Amino acid sequence: MSRIRVLSPVGEARREAFTVPRLPADLAGLTIGFVDNTKHNFDRLADEISVLLRERYAVKAVVRRRKANASVAAPPETLAELAKQCDVVLAGSGD
Amino acid sequence: MSELAALGIAGLPLLVVQHPLGGERPESVARKAREAVEQLAGLIGGATTGESGRVGAPRTSLRPPSEQADPADLATMDDDPQAVLAAFCERGWCDGLPVVPPTEGRVRAMLGGAPPERSLGAVPPLWRQATLEKLAVNAVLAGCEPAAFPVIAAAVQAMLEPAFNLYGVQATTHPVAPLLIVHGPVAERLGIHAGSGCFGPGFRANATIGRALRLILMNVGGAWPGRHDMATQGSPAKFSYCVAERVDASPWGPLCGDDAVTVFGGEAPHNVNDHVSTGAAGILATLADTAVSLGSNVGWFLAQSQLLVVLGPEHAATIAGDGFTRADVQRYVFEHARLPLRTLKLGGMWGMQDWPVWMTAVRDDDALLPQVPSPDDVFVIVAGGPGKHSSVVPNCTFSRAVRRPVLPL
Repeated sequence: MSRIRVLSPVGEARREAFTVPRLPADLAGLTIGFVDNTKHNFDRLADEISVLLRERYAVKAVVRRRKANASVAAPPETLAELAKQCDVVLAGSGD
Repeated sequence: MSELAALGIAGLPLLVVQHPLGGERPESVARKAREAVEQLAGLIGGATTGESGRVGAPRTSLRPPSEQADPADLATMDDDPQAVLAAFCERGWCDGLPVVPPTEGRVRAMLGGAPPERSLGAVPPLWRQATLEKLAVNAVLAGCEPAAFPVIAAAVQAMLEPAFNLYGVQATTHPVAPLLIVHGPVAERLGIHAGSGCFGPGFRANATIGRALRLILMNVGGAWPGRHDMATQGSPAKFSYCVAERVDASPWGPLCGDDAVTVFGGEAPHNVNDHVSTGAAGILATLADTAVSLGSNVGWFLAQSQLLVVLGPEHAATIAGDGFTRADVQRYVFEHARLPLRTLKLGGMWGMQDWPVWMTAVRDDDALLPQVPSPDDVFVIVAGGPGKHSSVVPNCTFSRAVRRPVLPL
């Protein structure tokens, strides 16, 4: 059987990588943000997590922001605002 | 995880909430919240803060290309149709149907002198580059003729326009597929079928051009069923979805007479069967009823809701015979493809809707609410053969139709 050589149809990635910062060792006194992706029950999940974070970890404040819908990125001004106000941000993804 | 890697943030901490979350009762959501917080406790143990004492902005660093996990650009396999299919399936490089082996010679012929390294942009969700060479490889795989390549490139450019939101189209659980409508003389030159059974099998140009786009979305974009393409059930339209306008049978001329493509993020066609109406009112009433339903995405995210109406030639002639213009059809569908508030409250996405303020203020349960924002969000084309059928293609509501000219590469 003769052999055939073919080109790969798979695309090439050209993106740079980012260093992801570590999470803080202690959440006490910190401000936690949520990006609500609008999917059903995310608001309730964030409510429940917020209560637990306040009770168990003594977080100082919780900031909530909502995207327009699940399939678009949060607007840059929202991200900038959260980056300024929060120490850790939990972003909803999927459903 | 590979999507995070593609974004260059492979180390981003994740809290995994087991599916489903939507539709769960409060006690289930509370349990998932407790589980998420337990995961968070594990993640923060022993971690350190950034230099400023807060979690700082990411610092960029370039990883060696070898960590980007690009596949080998060449593969060798037995020169036998079944062996080639098996090899492509094994690598996850095709849709499961037989392929034409993309040899260098065939890819060069597909490019037709276009610069192979030119990229049209990064294709989500894995954000890999749509170089003309990669598009050509997939076009060969799909069985395309080289003359179709400029149409494929134009379609990719259209899908990469921000308004189309290809990331959403690729990653959603909705069964959306980009419908490619080819306009102008190029459609006839390429043999893109617009007559009987135009959404079905039997025509190489429709089948292979549509398939090439799907293979590009899978192989370049990286959207595989259950892995980045999270469609719950998907759709047969995801194999291939390409059609042309039946210009000769349209009472109103084509939607676009120039060489161009429109990409429309749509569901599979919904049949509009009306064998009895002898006037526009009856056919359009049937069509408007088909266009909206509680289970459709259309209407819930109003700003991006669009409908494509594909009139069969006989229906189109009857409607035009009553003096309707294309704009009249658009207006009629806009005014009549509506649901009462009481129906919308029954399920669907009630509670998650993104409506303008005037709609959210409505309290009358009998009020008929629009499902698209304007008549301009109803597109009307004519396609198909003899018979009393038309179709409606609802969009996915997070993507707007985009048109691009077909130009030499």
